[in-house]
Amino acid sequence: MSAQTDRNTKGILFNIQKYSVHDGPGIRTILFLKGCSLRCRWCSNPESQSAAPELAFNRDKCLGEEHCQRCHHVCRNQALGVAQDGKMVWNPDDCRQCHACAEACPNKALIVYGYETTVDQALRRVEEDEAFYSRSGGGVTLSGGEPLVQAEFAMALLREAKRRRIHTCIETCGMVPWNVLREAAQYLDHVLYDVKLADSEKHRMATGAGNEVILENLRRLRREFPDLPITVRTPVIPGINDTPEDIRAIAEIVREVGGMDYELLGYHRMGTPKYVYLGRSYELTEPNLDEGRLEELRALARKVLESGKEAPRGLCA
Amino acid sequence: MLECCLSPQEQFIQDQLEGKENHLRKQRAHARAFRILDRISGLTPKVDVQRGRLFTESMRETEGQPLVLRWAKAMMHIAKNIEVYIDDDQLLAGRAGAQGRYGILYPELDGDFLDVAIEQLSEREVSPFIVDPEDARIIVEEIAPYWKGKTYHEALAKALPEETLPLTYRPENVLESRYIVNETSSFRSSLQWVHDYEKVLKRGFGGIKKEAQEKLAALDPFSPDDNVRKKPFLEAVILVCDAIILWANRHADLAARMAQTETDPERKKELEQIAEICRHVPEHPARNFREAMQSQWFTQMFSRLEQKTGTIISNGRMDQYLYPYYKADVEAGVLDEEQAIELFECMWVGMAQFIDLYLSPTGGAFNEGYAHWEAVTIGGQTKDGRDATNDLTYLLLRSKREFPLHYPDLAARIHARSPKRYLWEVAETIKEGSGFPKLINDEEVIPLHLSKGATFEEIYDYAVSGCAEVRMPNRDTYTSGCAYINYAAALEMALYGGRMLKYGDEVIGLPTADPTRFATWDEFWSAYLAQQLNLIKHAFIQQKIIIDLRARHFATPLGSALHDLCMENCIDLHQPKIEGGIDLGYFECIGYATVVDSLAAIKKLVFEEKKVGMAELLEALRNNFQGREDLRAMLRNCPSYGNNDPYADEIAKEIDRQSVEFTKKYAKEVGVHLDLRYVPFTSHVPFGKVVSATPNGRLAYTPLSDGSSASQGSDVNGPTAILMSNFMSKNYNYRERAARLLNIKFTPGCVAGDEGTEKLVSFIKTWCDLRLWHIQFNIINRETLLAAQKNPERYRNLIVRIAGYSAYFCDLSKDLQDDLIARTGHTQI
Repeated sequence: MSAQTDRNTKGILFNIQKYSVHDGPGIRTILFLKGCSLRCRWCSNPESQSAAPELAFNRDKCLGEEHCQRCHHVCRNQALGVAQDGKMVWNPDDCRQCHACAEACPNKALIVYGYETTVDQALRRVEEDEAFYSRSGGGVTLSGGEPLVQAEFAMALLREAKRRRIHTCIETCGMVPWNVLREAAQYLDHVLYDVKLADSEKHRMATGAGNEVILENLRRLRREFPDLPITVRTPVIPGINDTPEDIRAIAEIVREVGGMDYELLGYHRMGTPKYVYLGRSYELTEPNLDEGRLEELRALARKVLESGKEAPRGLCA
Repeated sequence: MLECCLSPQEQFIQDQLEGKENHLRKQRAHARAFRILDRISGLTPKVDVQRGRLFTESMRETEGQPLVLRWAKAMMHIAKNIEVYIDDDQLLAGRAGAQGRYGILYPELDGDFLDVAIEQLSEREVSPFIVDPEDARIIVEEIAPYWKGKTYHEALAKALPEETLPLTYRPENVLESRYIVNETSSFRSSLQWVHDYEKVLKRGFGGIKKEAQEKLAALDPFSPDDNVRKKPFLEAVILVCDAIILWANRHADLAARMAQTETDPERKKELEQIAEICRHVPEHPARNFREAMQSQWFTQMFSRLEQKTGTIISNGRMDQYLYPYYKADVEAGVLDEEQAIELFECMWVGMAQFIDLYLSPTGGAFNEGYAHWEAVTIGGQTKDGRDATNDLTYLLLRSKREFPLHYPDLAARIHARSPKRYLWEVAETIKEGSGFPKLINDEEVIPLHLSKGATFEEIYDYAVSGCAEVRMPNRDTYTSGCAYINYAAALEMALYGGRMLKYGDEVIGLPTADPTRFATWDEFWSAYLAQQLNLIKHAFIQQKIIIDLRARHFATPLGSALHDLCMENCIDLHQPKIEGGIDLGYFECIGYATVVDSLAAIKKLVFEEKKVGMAELLEALRNNFQGREDLRAMLRNCPSYGNNDPYADEIAKEIDRQSVEFTKKYAKEVGVHLDLRYVPFTSHVPFGKVVSATPNGRLAYTPLSDGSSASQGSDVNGPTAILMSNFMSKNYNYRERAARLLNIKFTPGCVAGDEGTEKLVSFIKTWCDLRLWHIQFNIINRETLLAAQKNPERYRNLIVRIAGYSAYFCDLSKDLQDDLIARTGHTQI
């Protein structure tokens, strides 16, 4: 692709987050690409799942009809009503996603998750923090959703970022065609790779898909790009993968594939309000993960990985 | 990962609440400080009347004589008669007043209303003081009456031109500040200042006295100038040297007497040592680290007795001037790190007991909550431009981490080649402490001062002074408190034709046209600009008067004795023109982001998008947005400063440029540099109390934005954007700029672990690259989250960052917030 074509390639983002310090090396800017190939039951970014821009309503921010009726005036589909306390009611089923109401809302109670942007526009935002990347070794991280669902956009972003000497990282669930991942890897400096469960059936129950593609992609990625830093990450979700058996099994895969870092991330429920904004309900009712338990699982994972290092090579096979 | 992050102070309080023993308490380095703290904690500070009484007694006797000599005589009178103390367990001697926490009086500043103020003191809600009834009688009957009609404050009110006065004070009652063009020269005798302590340590006051005596002997006996000007100055220096030496010796006498009756053999030995040390310093050069500490402490405490230096006299580069003594003692095997820490803590507990007492309502509002900025400087570069960090730098950082109170105010100089270890330990101290040290940037300060006339040697050796300022102790010569200008008031005047809602129909600014008649943004901008420049104009008029007037009211023989140029020219430091000096004044912009955001909102909504009419906006503002929450929401969602948004930042840059352009043109007529500064103390609170609702959605009479930080809660793009907005709005092509204060909030999760420290270090390095002057970090803790839950409006920008996800705290539901708060106390997310 020519540089000019890449710069003008368009895609859908739903957020740009500056000063990210937990998703890749250094101080980074995360571009959140909309659309996902999994449907994890615990997903903390529900607005990332569908590919198209979508309306959301934060009731707490609604000023109420006493102060403001701007949205009512612009809605052509009778998708908006009024609750007893005067606040607006949004009926997603009647909504045709024209987003005129979000345009009219003064307090951002009605917002649209997702907007179209070009590679050039997105990377200009990224470059605003260039002074921080040069000191911290940071750069851009593509996240989502699954950023490689918008394959053409993601690839153009990565290629153009490399032309501009920006350090690149991706946060991927691995559930993408191998050729897409392989192409992306050519332009990547670091990969954060989610592995949620070792057991494919449990994986299907929890995310809507089996994990064969994910694990196979991980193996091929390691094999074909031996110098590319890969960090495998597991979000530990109560009732889904928080048993020692679950973690041991994933850690063993990490050990077996070899040459990768492994991190456990604690579960949090911080995404729940966004389900409500989107007119959806959050299925997971499990309580938060006990911190002591997470530490135990981390210790277990470390032990599994270290046991691999100590074993004489010959005996391993 | 969000993890528990209690600062040492919080941990200290928490432990006390839980009845837990602080683990530091038992350590050799800290046990002494804890014993002293146990005795003073929880005591309400009391007013000690001695300094005020003795100063007044002496001044009464010396009327008509040269001011500097009068001041020195007053210092001698104090030195002879003020009660001296040796505190139990203390190793350092020297207090300016009674035992426990105390404040002292400077009636030369506030004598005209001292009697009224003192009666209100014990009843005031914020920072109360106890006044003994007999002391109150002395104040009302003896001290206050003498000063009525004599204070600088009264003289200034009379001297201000008719148009300047109503912007400064309420004309009918000049004790009431208008908080529009606010003078700060009447609630302190000097700007924040740093002494050349090294001179005291190396030469002693005996050496300085000798220099003055030699100069006195060499005067031309026939010269009128030598006789009238130089002679009294030199006599004053000699007298003040004698005074501090006498005062120290009285401590030696007391310690010796106490040693005789002391039954504890260990303490007896300590008292004997104290006696011996106080006999030797500050008269003679210090012979070791302990004597250097004592000599420095006497100097700064006697300086506090001499005059009220704005935000307390600073401590200078302690890691530099103390280092030779420390090094020699350590090499000789007579001092170890724990003993040095113990001595530092003896000094910090001494500082913690002295409360900077402001009696005037304005002074109090500027320095809420027992404020103190006694800046101890560490790091930076040596006089020849090499990195200056040494073992003592690291020891001072350690002391900051371990000492359980907010003392001292620690300032770390950062430069492009600051070593990794230094940056790392600074970052660790910021994390574990309460955001300290504050950082000052050599890469901004040094070239800027070179352009203002400093030599490399002088500016490489600068010390931090006060909040965010810097001093070259032998080259700086400007001590007049400067004007604080309420830029938000200028904006309000542009909205209401020179009026402010607070002051009714009085046309207080320029009578600019009714803004509903403006057809274009440019017309509105011109009206605003006219008001802004008018306020700066009056600030400059004020300053010109202040400079001449102060010289007739204040003298500082001690401060002058320690200044090379004062000694060379035989002139007091408070005099307007000192040959060879650089006069670095400033004027303060208060409410920067409030104004930028307001202008951006008007430009966008009224003139560009035409979504809101000017009349509609004015009506909503007059009603403090009552019934117009929708309009307020629209205003608040406009582009705002602190988000690296060029729309707002370009307006910010132009406000800054117009200000520096004004001073470029007119400062020379005032005779000093008057550079643009953004350092509010706590003044953005009282300044906000006179400004009605503003077009950025700010409610009437609430605080203005602080320093060069974003408006409360409107910086929603994270800390890098705040730095970039600061960078983009500065006019680097002008030299007429001074400090910009910048506060950054971090959640503990951003800086957790070694990885967090590493990222904080790289953040600091980028701040250094961007040549921003100052930065200070607030590490958010449980209390902040609770406050955010209560007042979400003020914390819209509080981001909770968790791997793979981040949220605005205020967008979370109550139960999620509670959850997060609960976790922040003790565990990780």
